[in-house]
Amino acid sequence: MKLSAILPVARVLRRELAVTALLLLGVSMVVFAVLYLAPGDPLNVLLEGQSPRAQTAAREAMGVPHTWYARYGAWLSKVLQGNFGNSVRTGLPVLPELARVGVNTLVLTLGSLFLTLLIAVPIAVHAAVNGDTPGNTAATVAAYVLSAVPVFWFGYIVVYVFIHQFGMFPLLSGTAAKQPHAWLYFLVPIFVLGTASGTLSELIRHLREELSRVLSEDYIRTARAKGAPVWRHAFKEGFLIPVTEIMSAKIPFLLGGAVIVEQVFNWPGMGRMAWQAAQDRDFPVIMGVALVAAAFVRTGNLLQRVIFTMVNPRASKQ
Amino acid sequence: MKSILAVAVLTGLCAAAQAAPKNDGRPDGGTLNYSEFGRTATVDPITSNETISLRITELVFNGLVGIDEKQEIVPELAERWEISKDNRVFTFTLRKDVKWHPREGEEPRPFTADDVVFTWNIMTNPRTITPLKVRYEFIEKVQKTGDYTVVFTLKRPILNALAKFTFKIIPRHGPANSEYLTREDPFARNPIGTGPYMLKTITGDGEVVLLSNPDYFKGKAHIDKFIAKPFADQNIMAQALMFNAVDMIVLVNPRNLPEVQGDKRFVLQPYNALSYSFFGYNLRNPMLADRRVRQAIAEAINRQEMLSSFFNNQGTVISGPFAPGSWAYNLDVKPLPFSPDQARALLAEAGYKAGGDGILEKDGRKLALSLKVPIEKESEAVKRVVLAFQNYLKSVGVAINVEFKEWQAWKEDVFLEHNFDIMFASWVFDDSADISSLFHSAEIGDWKNNFGGYSNPEIDALIVESKLTLDYEKRRTINRKLHAILAEEQPYAFLWTLTNYSAYHRKVRRVQIHPYKFFSFADEWFIPTSEQK
Repeated sequence: MKLSAILPVARVLRRELAVTALLLLGVSMVVFAVLYLAPGDPLNVLLEGQSPRAQTAAREAMGVPHTWYARYGAWLSKVLQGNFGNSVRTGLPVLPELARVGVNTLVLTLGSLFLTLLIAVPIAVHAAVNGDTPGNTAATVAAYVLSAVPVFWFGYIVVYVFIHQFGMFPLLSGTAAKQPHAWLYFLVPIFVLGTASGTLSELIRHLREELSRVLSEDYIRTARAKGAPVWRHAFKEGFLIPVTEIMSAKIPFLLGGAVIVEQVFNWPGMGRMAWQAAQDRDFPVIMGVALVAAAFVRTGNLLQRVIFTMVNPRASKQ
Repeated sequence: MKSILAVAVLTGLCAAAQAAPKNDGRPDGGTLNYSEFGRTATVDPITSNETISLRITELVFNGLVGIDEKQEIVPELAERWEISKDNRVFTFTLRKDVKWHPREGEEPRPFTADDVVFTWNIMTNPRTITPLKVRYEFIEKVQKTGDYTVVFTLKRPILNALAKFTFKIIPRHGPANSEYLTREDPFARNPIGTGPYMLKTITGDGEVVLLSNPDYFKGKAHIDKFIAKPFADQNIMAQALMFNAVDMIVLVNPRNLPEVQGDKRFVLQPYNALSYSFFGYNLRNPMLADRRVRQAIAEAINRQEMLSSFFNNQGTVISGPFAPGSWAYNLDVKPLPFSPDQARALLAEAGYKAGGDGILEKDGRKLALSLKVPIEKESEAVKRVVLAFQNYLKSVGVAINVEFKEWQAWKEDVFLEHNFDIMFASWVFDDSADISSLFHSAEIGDWKNNFGGYSNPEIDALIVESKLTLDYEKRRTINRKLHAILAEEQPYAFLWTLTNYSAYHRKVRRVQIHPYKFFSFADEWFIPTSEQK
């Protein structure tokens, strides 16, 4: 790759990473403020029903500062040293726990993204190239209907079908491994999130529009007239950019959907951890999850920017 | 001389034969998978404060004394005890054949009086965060008087004190910090005890594996392995039982009961939970301070109908403040009848007249009350109860504005701000049947349990008297009186107690369940060899 191709990307990366750092700081402040203002004390889980004296002693034992800014400052300085603290509820260090469940969520969300692509791309491309045919209209309608279905409902339906039609029982950890088609069940949550999260319909629509637009551009007509491969000319603008755009825009929604899917399928991911932590006011865990989720979303945007810049180096100067 | 020698030889034999099976003719072996709704946080007996952990600590640890199937106190780590005449000094003689679970690659260490003193010290250290502290404030000091004798001195004699010595003993060499115990101590998730099962692992996903302790002093438990599997959804949990992915559900969701009941492979076993649900009133509201209004509300609602339709009739309507099934409950007091006419009459007597919109009024103030309900994990049945409550009261002219609140926010409203008219909740009791924190006027205040501000000198006096007496029969009489007065006074609309059901596969035999500790007798459970797989 030529240096002229790398430079713009590096420029974009530098700028975006600086923005990311600021953004994460902002996210942590907002989440902290919300937690601070919300009713309930982070230590309530532990101190329930105890005398005020015992509560004060416990607070001192845990080293909880008195003012909100001291609390935030203490948290931030620890995080900058790579220490996300320990969960109030379980006493376990937050970072390794996050890494463990984060991987599961990553598998779930990336897997479902991949599945969405696998379904949406053929439908959209076929429609863009051939116009409306009964076949792709039917496929598009089906995809739209699936996208409109709520994830939690679809999840239950799928679980039901698996249990009563295939006689397979959904249990990810431990027992599932002993069943003959356990690996199949591993794919089910990915299937549910990939089809019902709403990304499917948007990807089809956006990709079809963009691809049709690009395919009718003058330069494609010229390419076609010359007998040059149309695909190679249309790929970047008509395919790569719309796909990455939608994907990066949809990551937050996917994470939201993952919370529900993880709950329904007993999937030990970040969503379930966040849910539990929110109920317990488990402050270090909530902060950790928020940061990781924000970083995840930001990484998606970053990748999209990088791809966009690679396609269109001038964009790096904007 | 001869007899002493014989005893010495016998004990020697016992020590040598520690790894002995129970020899009760029942087979050893097999695995029991049981499901839990949610995951454990910590599994040591001191920092943990949830039922899932309580069940696990019951398998891993022992107390000085235990409680048998007939609810009677039996020796456990203490083989015998002496109680001084003034009921203040308890001297426990400990068993000499008890060993702590070994850590990886270590020899098991013996259990001694030092461990008991250690447990007490760590439990009462101000830096240890434990729900137990409040319950053991009655103990003044603990002393070791020999390697196997411990003396507890109480601040004042209390009734049934012996039952309180069921608290679990932890080893001196257990926690990394020997001063106080926090949830961050490795011991909190990797404890060793003396109990029938040894904790092997807790996986990242919250699955807990327990292995039968070969050195258990009551003889090795029959079932080799217990595995607790966490579930995030109760319906899925019931399906897991159906598909043999688990062998036991400790608490079946009422909605799944018919399904399990219809299946011959499983046993549904009821157990009493020592808890009840109620609508609690804020007596700071002058309208609710009028007893007639409270009685009218209780008579306007059809509790039996709600219990039948929303909980499959799995429970009993109650009349007063004690947990049904406890010795303190007064069966002679009948629940107030469902009688909307009587309710209307009482409200009229209290001076309420129908307003323009059908809502009752008095001195220009509408009888409109706020009802605050916490949102809990499984709130579906609760929602129905609340809506039914609203409808019943509407028909006698009382307007209820329901407000569902997130748990912490609800607690602040009710227990701190006292910003509510009526609240919905349940109490869970231990076997001491102590209601002093609920209705004594000294318990009115921030975060205290007398959230409604109920104050009645007669009740206060009875509660104090009941606490001071050491005579069981006398205390029972006082509690029956308390029950009768509070049933009349209606500081709560007492609703019902629900029956808990455990469901398990028929292959598990001789299952006895303790009301709230659950696994107290699990070392006696067994699985026939042919069904161990």
